[in-house]
Amino acid sequence: MDFLGDAFLQNIMAGFALVANVESIAALGIGVTVGVIAGAIPGMSATMAVALTLPFTFSMTPITGILLLLGVYKGGIFGGSIPAILIKTPGTPASSATVLDGHPMAEKGQAGKALGMALWSSCTADLISNLSLIMFAGWLASFALSFGPPEFFTLILFSLTIIAGVSGGSLLLGFLSAAMGLLLATIGLDLVYGTGRFSFNDTNLMGGLNFIAVLIGLFAIPEILTMVWDPSPKTEKRTKLGDNWVTFKEYKSCFKSIIRGSFIGVFLGSIPGIGAAPSAFLSYSEARRKSPNKENFGKGEIEGVAASEAGNNGVAGATLIPLLALGIPGDVITAIIIGAFMIHGLQPGPLMFVTNGDIIYGLFMGMIISSIFLFFVGSVAIRAFRFVADIPRSLLFPTILILCVYGCYAVNNSIFDVGVMFVIGWIGFVMLRYNIPAAPFLIAFILGPLLEDNFRQAMLMSGSSASILVRGPITWFFWTLTIITVVAIIRAGIKNSKTTAIE
Amino acid sequence: MQDQTTTKLPGETASITDDIPNGNQDSEAVKNTRTQTTIGICAIIFAVFTYFVAIPYGVSTPSNVSNIVLSPLFWPNIIAGLTGLVGLGLILTAKTKIMTITQNEPPFNFYASGGWQRLGIFAVLLIIYMASISRLGIVWSSMLAFISLALIIKTNHKITALIVAVLMPLALYAFFAHVAGIALPQGLFVRLP
Repeated sequence: MDFLGDAFLQNIMAGFALVANVESIAALGIGVTVGVIAGAIPGMSATMAVALTLPFTFSMTPITGILLLLGVYKGGIFGGSIPAILIKTPGTPASSATVLDGHPMAEKGQAGKALGMALWSSCTADLISNLSLIMFAGWLASFALSFGPPEFFTLILFSLTIIAGVSGGSLLLGFLSAAMGLLLATIGLDLVYGTGRFSFNDTNLMGGLNFIAVLIGLFAIPEILTMVWDPSPKTEKRTKLGDNWVTFKEYKSCFKSIIRGSFIGVFLGSIPGIGAAPSAFLSYSEARRKSPNKENFGKGEIEGVAASEAGNNGVAGATLIPLLALGIPGDVITAIIIGAFMIHGLQPGPLMFVTNGDIIYGLFMGMIISSIFLFFVGSVAIRAFRFVADIPRSLLFPTILILCVYGCYAVNNSIFDVGVMFVIGWIGFVMLRYNIPAAPFLIAFILGPLLEDNFRQAMLMSGSSASILVRGPITWFFWTLTIITVVAIIRAGIKNSKTTAIE
Repeated sequence: MQDQTTTKLPGETASITDDIPNGNQDSEAVKNTRTQTTIGICAIIFAVFTYFVAIPYGVSTPSNVSNIVLSPLFWPNIIAGLTGLVGLGLILTAKTKIMTITQNEPPFNFYASGGWQRLGIFAVLLIIYMASISRLGIVWSSMLAFISLALIIKTNHKITALIVAVLMPLALYAFFAHVAGIALPQGLFVRLP
């Protein structure tokens, strides 16, 4: 296998040389720390933290900037488990499953044990996920080199089906949100003819809406507006860590679930758009199904915490497989990270393995190091979280507003972008108020132009014959996957509604 | 992803109806159905507006387009059609009670006292904030915006808010201007080094 050959080793060494410097190591350490803190603050998601960190990377070298973002991402996913266990409030949606057994453990005075297991299983899963990325990304990239516009069109179409996975309670509202995102993505000059679309001859609109402005507007501003709408203090019961800490014996007893959860995370993470929350729930339910202590799940079972955290952290490295190999963001956070690549003049995808192989392998090395950082930073964070949690919300949200404005302005030195961010923020608030999920909006906003571009390129190639969209086994494969997924989504939606109606 | 989840946790209930007495759950379901219908109607109106007004006036297309699928109009028209269909789907499924909305966790508090007033003030604050960036500079306008927002959300930590309001924009300015090398608006009155 050539990826284990000399070229592979050379790339590894080149990548290591890129990472083995103070700047990169410091970026990883700071990133993981910022991520853990942000993830641990309810209301400040890992997504928001990555988005707010992005402008700080502009002046850095590509590898340092991207490692900083990856550190924030990984730290954020783990950090979400801290409030999930201590105050029953998942810091990130990925930690929702951790609440099930983590908080009952905390109520029994075993918060320290639960947090310790969350950390150990997170680090293990993270390492497995990173190794999977190193093993499979190159292979997938070489396969992806045979992709043309029709293949990419079908792949992106399939990726869009994942909107169902992030649509929450109503599939149709998810589609509505996605349609709005697609429409917003058409603003700017037409990709083929160069004529204006909804730009009304305004130079600010000709290049389309700024991705960062839309992103921050959609995720951070609605949280501030919600706080403005209802500033009443939320009652948050805080729990003591307890004297018990996780033992190696307990870790060993949960090892099977951790490994299983890690691979579930790797598998689901490598499919664009699924994200960490479904993976955590699948890992949790599998652990419950296989465990001899099945009845104890939901009442404070340590294996439940291990499985959930392994499931969500297993996604972190693997979600970069489609990003690096195909140039397709695996979830919302990697969608932001793809923006960082582009800002630094890099285009993730199969060609990047040829043109910037050292950066790719540098990222691999950095990710392995980030697992070690996660362990140490996480250990400190568990003890220190209570001080961070004490930041009053009435100080936290004005701080977020100022960070948003600085961050958004810094992208293009444009006050217009700040205005776009505010407008999108109000749209996001209305969406939040009426349960219209924001994630499909963003995914469609990112994938929409790619979908249209590849579709029209395919049509130009074939002289407008639709047969090019089914020209080979790859297109057939993605069409089949898309159809199967759509049918499964509709069936699951109808079944779920019937169950709800009966209840 | 946003910090909201509609996932129902096994062994837990993630529904807003948990906080509602049983007798009121039916009326809550009716309200959800009504909300879904309203959203569906809005989606159809939006789709019709996009198709008949926004696209004809907002999208220009060259006269020599060989095929409709290559036209700049094609994609916006498809999306408008899709929006209309989703709106129709929302109305139909609300009527047949298939795939109706489930609520956020935690639920949105629709009845916050003085909410509209605060939102109105905040909207004005955002407009003033944006307009003042080029005149006062991003640092000074951010200080004022911080203090104003802290007052709108009735902070109990007024002294701390004042200190953070002064220090944070300055620290961010120092980072962006001197570390990241990004020029920030200085304003017309007081310029920072």
